[in-house]
Amino acid sequence: MAGMLDKLLSLDRRWIFLLVLLCVGTPIVMPIGLPVTTTGSTRAAFDYIESLKPGNYVWISFDYGPSSAPENDPMAEAFLRQCFAKKIRVIVCAFYPLGGLGLATNSLAKVTAEYPNLRYGEDYVNLGYKDGAAAVMRRLGEDIAEAFPADVRGTPLAQLPIMKGLRSIRQVQLVCSVATGVIGEYWITQVHSQIGTPIIIGPTAVAAPKYYAYLNAGQLVGMLGGMKGAAEYEKLLAARYPDMAHFYQSTRGFTATKGMDGQTVIHAVIILFILVGNVAYIMSRRAAQKKGA
Amino acid sequence: MQLPGLETWIAAFLTLACMSFLYKDNPFFRFAESLFAGISLGYFIGITLNQTLVPNLIQPLHRDFAQNWDLLVPGLLGVLLYMRYVPKIGWISRYALSIYVAYYIGLDFTRRIHGEVLPQLARAIVPLTRFDSHTIFYSLIFSLGVFSVLIYFFFSKEQDAVTRRIARLGIWFLMISFGAAFGFTVMGRVALLIGRLNFLILDWIYPMVGLG
Repeated sequence: MAGMLDKLLSLDRRWIFLLVLLCVGTPIVMPIGLPVTTTGSTRAAFDYIESLKPGNYVWISFDYGPSSAPENDPMAEAFLRQCFAKKIRVIVCAFYPLGGLGLATNSLAKVTAEYPNLRYGEDYVNLGYKDGAAAVMRRLGEDIAEAFPADVRGTPLAQLPIMKGLRSIRQVQLVCSVATGVIGEYWITQVHSQIGTPIIIGPTAVAAPKYYAYLNAGQLVGMLGGMKGAAEYEKLLAARYPDMAHFYQSTRGFTATKGMDGQTVIHAVIILFILVGNVAYIMSRRAAQKKGA
Repeated sequence: MQLPGLETWIAAFLTLACMSFLYKDNPFFRFAESLFAGISLGYFIGITLNQTLVPNLIQPLHRDFAQNWDLLVPGLLGVLLYMRYVPKIGWISRYALSIYVAYYIGLDFTRRIHGEVLPQLARAIVPLTRFDSHTIFYSLIFSLGVFSVLIYFFFSKEQDAVTRRIARLGIWFLMISFGAAFGFTVMGRVALLIGRLNFLILDWIYPMVGLG
């Protein structure tokens, strides 16, 4: 018994890495389809967008990079799908320097391909990337065209039909920030607190705990915490829109709902690791104490 | 059967090179690490130039100089920052830096007070006058947590027998919040692995074996 405990405590960590790899990889090859339950903060976000009218403006900010794309891409694409299904006008920008714009362009191309009737410049626009997020957001409250003189293609905003009559972010009904770091906080503290525009945040799981303080303080309309939040949103979308239910079930591509199989399996394994590690530690300590006595 | 393209092969090679560090440090990992750092820097310079400097500074000056001449001031301040690389006149860069720092202090000050401190302070005051389930299970625990954690971080007076016990309760609240943060962190890191394995299996291996 003591020999087994010593072996367990001195186990090469690379065996654990291998086990983690197998636990995460297996559900990708053989999906389990574990159920996803929804939480209040995600439902609040979903219901708020559902309550908007056709022709309203939603500003979607891509504030993340490729390093957190598996968590954030499904959120951004779910927001885009819901807005386009409801004929809400979408303005896209990116404040994350390393890849935010590339991801915004890819997600827009992917989702707009599912809605062939949408027209760039009328139903949606991509304003591109801008440096200095907090300062730019302050400018958005005064004049959008001064912060973003042209869209990502170089077309002046005055020539885009979607921007006609839209001068300030005060006129936008909702901002959705899909964020990996501090930029989501800027939207809350710079735009919501000082201008009043409602905000939904889709943070990475690592950043989610700090956003709960803003959510509980009533500064957020809703929040999607990490891949779990994204999976919840996909479930709500699929329940509300039958076409999307078919899409999420049939696509070979990556969705947060599929990712949650691996998450659930690996969380169970990590809990098991913690239990085994603690039991082995306590037993080895007791054995050492007995020897000493 | 459609074989994966060259870009998929490069991405798969770099993914495996990064993951190989888990076994042990090796030249493939160091190559991928250096390549990532270099490309990130180049990309950052390119995107800032094309998406910020050109549309917000260069194009307006070129299009209508008389209307936009004031943009020269921030443009000049930006150039002054690089004077630190000329030792004789390096001190000039401090003027630009001081304006930059002062601007962000002003911006951040109102942002922090109006956006964080006051709204969260207001919501930390919860009613404890009723004895329903919400008051007992949410407001009371919430108030106890805020109070005990604040006592824990109060260093201006030496703790006595009473405050020490309250501070100990504060440590428990902090530990529970750290535990929740750890759980979220595990979920975030596993999500990255799921993303990479999805790419390797669905975009690289499956097309190679004719399942794509």
